[in-house]
Amino acid sequence: MPSQPTTLLQGTLDLLILKSLAAGELHGLGISRRIQQMTGGTFVVKPGSLFPALHRMEEEGWTSSFWGDSENNRRAKYYRLTKAGRRQLEAESRRWGRISWAIAQALEAS
Amino acid sequence: MPVLVKARSLLRNLFSTRRVERDLDLEVRSHLQLLIDENLRAGLPPKEAERAARIELGGPEQVKEQVRDKRLGHGLHSLIADCRFGARQLYKNPGFTLTVVLTLALSVGANTAIFSLVNALLLKSLPYPHPERMGTIYTRIAGSSAASDERHNVNGEQWQLLRDNVPALISAVSGVRASGVNLKAGSHVDYVQDGRVSAHYFDVLALQPISGRNFSEEEDRPNGPKAAILSYNLWRNVFGADPGILGQPILLRSEPYTVVGVLPEGATTPLNADVYTPLQPDREGEGRGTNFRCIIRLRDGATGQEADAQINRTWLSRTGRYELAGNPGAKVSYHSVPLQKGQTDSLRPQVLALMLAAGLILLIACANLAGLTLVRMMRRTPEVATRLALGASGWQIQRQFWIENLLLALVGGAFSVGVGFLALKELFLLLPEHLLPVASMPLDARVMVFTLAVSILTSVLFGMLPALVARRVDLRSSMASRTVAGSGNLRLRQALIAGEVAITVMLLGGSGLLIRSLTHLETLPPGFNPNGVVVAKASLDDVRYHDPATFQKLLEQSTAAMRQIPGVQNAAVGLDLPYEFIGNDWVTLDDGKEAGQQGGADWVYVTPGYFETLQMPLLAGRVFTNVDGPNSQHVVVVNQSFARKFYGGTNPVGRYIDKDMLIVGEVADVPISSGLDPVAPLQTEQTMYFPAAQLDRPLLALLHIWHQPDWIVRTAGPVEGLTSAMQRALAAADPNLPASGFYSMKDLLARTLGTQRIEVALLGAMAALALLLSAVGIFALVANMVAQRTREIGIRMALGSSIGQVMVQFGRSGAAASLLGLVLGLALCAGALRVMRSVIYGVGVYDSTTMLFTVLTLAAVTLLAVAVPTLRIASIDPARTLREE
Repeated sequence: MPSQPTTLLQGTLDLLILKSLAAGELHGLGISRRIQQMTGGTFVVKPGSLFPALHRMEEEGWTSSFWGDSENNRRAKYYRLTKAGRRQLEAESRRWGRISWAIAQALEAS
Repeated sequence: MPVLVKARSLLRNLFSTRRVERDLDLEVRSHLQLLIDENLRAGLPPKEAERAARIELGGPEQVKEQVRDKRLGHGLHSLIADCRFGARQLYKNPGFTLTVVLTLALSVGANTAIFSLVNALLLKSLPYPHPERMGTIYTRIAGSSAASDERHNVNGEQWQLLRDNVPALISAVSGVRASGVNLKAGSHVDYVQDGRVSAHYFDVLALQPISGRNFSEEEDRPNGPKAAILSYNLWRNVFGADPGILGQPILLRSEPYTVVGVLPEGATTPLNADVYTPLQPDREGEGRGTNFRCIIRLRDGATGQEADAQINRTWLSRTGRYELAGNPGAKVSYHSVPLQKGQTDSLRPQVLALMLAAGLILLIACANLAGLTLVRMMRRTPEVATRLALGASGWQIQRQFWIENLLLALVGGAFSVGVGFLALKELFLLLPEHLLPVASMPLDARVMVFTLAVSILTSVLFGMLPALVARRVDLRSSMASRTVAGSGNLRLRQALIAGEVAITVMLLGGSGLLIRSLTHLETLPPGFNPNGVVVAKASLDDVRYHDPATFQKLLEQSTAAMRQIPGVQNAAVGLDLPYEFIGNDWVTLDDGKEAGQQGGADWVYVTPGYFETLQMPLLAGRVFTNVDGPNSQHVVVVNQSFARKFYGGTNPVGRYIDKDMLIVGEVADVPISSGLDPVAPLQTEQTMYFPAAQLDRPLLALLHIWHQPDWIVRTAGPVEGLTSAMQRALAAADPNLPASGFYSMKDLLARTLGTQRIEVALLGAMAALALLLSAVGIFALVANMVAQRTREIGIRMALGSSIGQVMVQFGRSGAAASLLGLVLGLALCAGALRVMRSVIYGVGVYDSTTMLFTVLTLAAVTLLAVAVPTLRIASIDPARTLREE
């Protein structure tokens, strides 16, 4: 598998996950649905991508997790942003802003 | 702190694997449940809801595996898993594992032991501050036939010039070795080693007494005050660590010496003595000859070049240049060398040769292990093929394989430290005392690192070949055939065996030559009857015995008392005995056509009865009697070599030497250890025997510093309690004269041939190890072939081959490899063994007996190693083998 798109996707996924948690704590499915909702259904995050990313981000110290009860009283693992996570979100947002602006510029150029 | 968080995660992933896994499992399950709930809420029927949820999740195990792959420490985790798998594989193959570990333990262990020797002698710094500034002086003689560059002992003139005219150095001299003397403490007499040293000796070593001081220059002057410095052990063991010992007299050599200092615990010197006294070196007496050993230390700020220039300037201006005697026109110069090199130079070739032999053992072990792992690799081809088919990468397979090798190397290495330790202990017991200039050979950090490095290197060497072979595993053919086709590797394995056999032949040839040489030395015609002689040595380095009359009285009384011991036939005293190191002097012939001729000759004093006691045949004239006293004609007995060298073999009786000494007899030659012209460790040489009764005072004082006389008795058979009876006889003449040791002539012979015996023991052990490893290699080759081709054997036998034919067929591969190795090894011997020319005596490098011994030993071992595995063929039942396939 070529590596370039993966890293780009991974960075995007991290940003989306961080953004989805900005409003408050969510469990895995909640994050997945929130991303779907935020991007108008463009990104559907499969569990096979979501969980490795979640665990990695927790190891990075951007999120922390705890076990809680879901809306209909199921045990679920919830994630929330840490301080480092918020900083990362800001940094990633800025970086993404720069990239998208640059890409847009590049596409507009004739 | 992200770093802390990361570290915590890593630790948790590595050590709380179970909890992390359970958490992950619960999370994935809960996710599935949430998905099902969502679908149910959307109105799907329960069955459909679960199906859709499972499709979206995409397999819980895969999700978990994806999480695991991304975890911190994933690489380490899989490494541990690989190690576990490897360890399990090794555990499941105990035969293979045991063979490899034993091979490694023995071969690496041999290297550990020999390297410890190299380390202690050549690498480890001397235990003194700034050892790199310490040295000794080498004399380089060029431009003559006898070119050399080595440490010489120095004479009194050299010493005084060095002390006074070389300001770049702190210099000191000592006696050549410590002398055994008697120390009287209270009513008790102890035999101790006295190191005679000049002032500043301890300054060169940078040793400061824990109490008291070093010798002053006043104490080092001839006839200066008699002072003593005690070693810590002597102070503690003999003087009970008496703090008031300073300033007290102790009785050494029957004279009072004032204690001026005590050395620190564990302090060593090159002399390794119990007590130190001032040498008081001078140009007279001892200082006339080169009887001092010199050590130097560069002063702060001075350089080696300055020192060398100063040494050359002052020593080249000497009047008496002994280096030029018999060597006219030679160019002589001097240079300082590091003390460690100076002390170990003579041992260096032997030690390095041993290291080389140990390296060869390692090569043999590698060849063996490569063969073994190759077979194992072949056997595992189906497993490897299965793993490749299941998606393992080539790298993963290789990694697994190398991890197993490394595990073997580490286990083998750990055992080899134990083997090395035991070997070293044995080695130290084997060595004669004071052969090595070091007190211990520790297994220190450097040795440990060496052992680890060698183990890993070995595993890389023996793993390389199978790893290369494994890369060529062909998936389809390996999966298809259940049996392993190993025939393609047979040639390779045979080549490995041939190589190791060739090395073994070389080691066998080398040790064979050493054994032949030792046997030659040990069975030299003795020229006397060594059986039934018992020897007592005692130190006469004692001021009372400088007086010829007292000395004479002691000899007469003690030998008379010894003759009274029941079972003793005869008794005498001599300095020295056959097989011993013998002093020498220049002699001038005074009459006939040889008048004025000069030459060196060995020098022995004896009491009447010496020749009878040793049963040395008298060839002409007479031996000494009690008539040869201090006031009668000075007489001398010479040996056959003397007559041959100086008188062309004619009868020497009646001739005069050294002005007024009359030769009265000629006796047979005996083998001695020569200091005159040593070409072999034992040889016969021109020797003069003098009556003890005719020695003068200065000579008595000097001789007994260097040598201890031997009291000898001859018995017809073993006598119970003979040594204590001899001690009582000595005490009857002088109650303060303890014997320093008792020996048989065999002991003295063994002592003189100590180096040769060790060479034989060490190289012999290496050769035996090589032989064992080669035998294991040949055995494994044949045994594997038999095991792999059981079916073929079954078919052959079913088709009418006899058991014998099949056995020959299979044994041939091992025998052929061995034969090839033998031929190769003999060719190598022809070239390599020539370097041994200087250490073998009485036997040529191309010695047919040694070659025959080598060939026969190898043939016997090969036969055994081939025969044992082929015997299994006899138990193969063709019918059953064929059914099993």
